[in-house]
Amino acid sequence: MASQLFDVVRSGSETKVSVRGSLDINNAAALGDEIDKITATKPERVLVDLSALELIDSSGVAALVKLYKGVRSIGGAVMITGARDQPLAIFKLLRMDKVFNL
Amino acid sequence: MVAPIQLVVPGTLRYRALAVRVVAEAARLVSSSALRDPKDPQAHDVRHPFDTAVVSAFMEIFNNVAIHAYQRNGEGSIDLAITPGDGELIIEIKDHGQPFDLDNVVPLPSELDEHTLPEGGMGIHIAKTMLDEMTYEPGPPNLWRLCKRLPAGDHSHQGQQKTSGARRS
Repeated sequence: MASQLFDVVRSGSETKVSVRGSLDINNAAALGDEIDKITATKPERVLVDLSALELIDSSGVAALVKLYKGVRSIGGAVMITGARDQPLAIFKLLRMDKVFNL
Repeated sequence: MVAPIQLVVPGTLRYRALAVRVVAEAARLVSSSALRDPKDPQAHDVRHPFDTAVVSAFMEIFNNVAIHAYQRNGEGSIDLAITPGDGELIIEIKDHGQPFDLDNVVPLPSELDEHTLPEGGMGIHIAKTMLDEMTYEPGPPNLWRLCKRLPAGDHSHQGQQKTSGARRS
């Protein structure tokens, strides 16, 4: 699925989610809906590419936490890559950079 | 002290992006950071740590006002007074909605792992940690006051371009 905010590409047991622009309170719910669909497919591995993400707020972080927990709860692996600038600063402030291996 | 930049927007999340852009520009006035791509006005360029801190904190407080003070009902206004000073930025955010209980905010878990990752309650923590000062006076009107200062030494560069990127016009 493609939107202005994110792309989701499924390839076998792997799913790649690319997020771009601003992930925030006004659009995090849209990603949350997609996360429900992703976890329903029970992927073995989910790659989250944040290299085009410019801004994130606590609602956006919550959506990514939901994705992380959802995939891990079904035994899948989550790799989050590409976080930079403001999003990376937010993950570090919340000490999530260690959990997400950023 | 210069006169503040004043902006009044309806108290809904629809006007959040507009307010964030104004605050980001005001932050850049203080940090003197250059836009990565001045030809792309849609880009959210807050790479400078000062801009990052100001915009991150402001976004959370705006969210808080729209959700908690105005209960997402679209009523009321959010009054912003943004004062770029010598090495600091002060933002006052006033609303006429429900007061917020700042003392009741649950702290983040002290030990964070994949089981204790929070899925909410992070906004005030982000704002408070990003800023040098954050105060809240319950009203009406309710008043948030956010203050961020450049590190000592940095604000001697105010008014100069600090990067080799394109100059702002």
